[in-house]
Amino acid sequence: MVEASAVRRRKWKRFSTAMVPYLLVLPVAVYYAAFWLRPVMTAIIGSFTDTVGALTLQNYALVFADKDFLPALRNTAIIVIFSVSLEFFAALVLALLINRKFRGSSIFLFLMMIPMALPAAAVGAMWITGLTAHGWMNSLLIYLNILEPGDKVYWLAGNEWTLLALLIVLDAWQVIPTVMIILLAGLQNIPKETQEAGYVFGGNYVTVLRKITLPILRPTIQAAVILRLIAAIQIWLIIVLLVGFSRLPVLVERIVYYYDEVSGLDISYQMATGYTMVVTALVSLAALLFLYLSGAFSRDREVGT
Amino acid sequence: MSEPIKKPTNIFKAAKTTSFYIFLTGLTAAVLLPIFFIVSLSFLSTREAYRYPLPLLPTLVTKFEMTFGERGYLLSVYDRTEKQYMTIMDTNDLKKMSVFMHAQLSTEMSVEEIETQIARLEEEDPIFFQKGTNILTNYDTFFKVAGTGKAVPALIRSLQICAMTVVISLSIGGLAGYAFARYYFKGRDALKFSVLFVRMIPGVAIALPMVIILARIGFYDRPIGLALVYSVGNIALTIWITASIFLGIPVSHEEAAQVFGATRLQAFLKVTFPLALPGLAAAAMYAFLAAWNETVSAIILTQFNPTFAVVVYQTVLGAVGQVNLAAAGGMVMALPSVVFLYFIRRYIRQMWGGVTI
Repeated sequence: MVEASAVRRRKWKRFSTAMVPYLLVLPVAVYYAAFWLRPVMTAIIGSFTDTVGALTLQNYALVFADKDFLPALRNTAIIVIFSVSLEFFAALVLALLINRKFRGSSIFLFLMMIPMALPAAAVGAMWITGLTAHGWMNSLLIYLNILEPGDKVYWLAGNEWTLLALLIVLDAWQVIPTVMIILLAGLQNIPKETQEAGYVFGGNYVTVLRKITLPILRPTIQAAVILRLIAAIQIWLIIVLLVGFSRLPVLVERIVYYYDEVSGLDISYQMATGYTMVVTALVSLAALLFLYLSGAFSRDREVGT
Repeated sequence: MSEPIKKPTNIFKAAKTTSFYIFLTGLTAAVLLPIFFIVSLSFLSTREAYRYPLPLLPTLVTKFEMTFGERGYLLSVYDRTEKQYMTIMDTNDLKKMSVFMHAQLSTEMSVEEIETQIARLEEEDPIFFQKGTNILTNYDTFFKVAGTGKAVPALIRSLQICAMTVVISLSIGGLAGYAFARYYFKGRDALKFSVLFVRMIPGVAIALPMVIILARIGFYDRPIGLALVYSVGNIALTIWITASIFLGIPVSHEEAAQVFGATRLQAFLKVTFPLALPGLAAAAMYAFLAAWNETVSAIILTQFNPTFAVVVYQTVLGAVGQVNLAAAGGMVMALPSVVFLYFIRRYIRQMWGGVTI
């Protein structure tokens, strides 16, 4: 009798101990269900619903038939491909060059982090004041004697290709320093012995980099690239701040355009949800594809810890 | 005696070190140059802000020349670019002159002060006088003009939202972070990847349906509604950060406390929690920073009660925007971010795997 209750109590204790982590995680699960999963489901269902609530594919048909859809898709693709690869390689080269101990590194790393910490509105204010014809960018070029006094470069007046190039450069300014720090963090964690072993066995800098450093750095690179990939597909605010809506359409800009700019139209909400789903599908696809190609699913690895 | 003997190779080494530092300086300059210009621009008077090329630094003292004009008094101001006095107005309306000095030159001179100067015109002609420039004029004007006087309430609202976001993300995310660091359980990996998953759906995509959900529970266009939305992304990040903090505190500390008769909860509160406190503070600041910076969802989820970020966005975008006002708004927005970044810089690096150079 006594023994049975003791066993029961012990079992209960073991059970309750096993429950602790689930109890700790429960609030997160509930929160995500209420404020993430639910809006996501609403968006998904909404994208298949017409104005009177019937099931339809019309929203997608509307989006695909939109004259700005293909340009938006193309512009988004260009921004993602060029900015992510440019930012990654530039950051890697910089990280490799800086990877050593030096005085003042703490303040240097802090300064490098500033661009990423700046709010979108502040970054927008910075470039808008810089890129107007009388802005500080042209003034700087005059002070550097690159421009004749009185001459101007009309940065924002070009066609969409120059705008895209400009945009990629602006994004690079903000992102490269941070990606560099992430990669630097990864480089710092590589034990010196592994690279030294490579040199002992006759490797030169390039072979050691290719066969030893980069493979060890892979988890860091994966984490950095995937976060950038997801962020790059969603660039839009800086575009709208610089050239306004519709001049250089990208997918997320279209969502805000239909939701905020022309919200009175019959099809506004349908267009917005349709575009939203297209972006969601693309982001998920790109992220999963990247994880698959880089082999993240093939082995168990820790992210961020 | 104790000085090390210099070897010939040191010249090569010194050259290498020097070029390394030149490289670092160049990189830092490239990164900070745009920031320098916007800081400088935010201090320029309206007249200076529309000079071309832009002055690199604001004038600290405005120099005036005054003489009799056709319509009253002819006021000229010294222009650094032209290196001479340039006529700006000819009037006998001293009130207008004073307003002009404030609005265009960021210089505060009352009508009485101008009259005192004019009195000197009896003795000499022309007269010269100068007055210190108030380089904070743009900031003052920004708060008065932006969002037609809505900047201060918006600032208060933003602070409320940030505080609520910190409380929600840290309490909910912190628990999960602790669970992640101390227990093995089903779904641990899902938790790990949740950061990725919640980011895969664009913020805008969540914000649109959230309008309806928040409206239904009466939280639309209210700070709490935005805090709930911001917390989604922040909880995920807080799990990451707090998990790595708790992983850094040996579990043996807690076990030792339990050996001495403490319960698991007491062990956590008395031992682990104080040790984790600085890291948790950093996580809180990070959440604050993210909520402060967020603009996109705020545009969609507010109507009559915008956040500060939205007010700045509208000033930059809208017709209100003079470049120097836009710059001042951007600076007000950026300053808290940079200050917080300074405090949590070490933790951010730790989060990415610990840069220890």
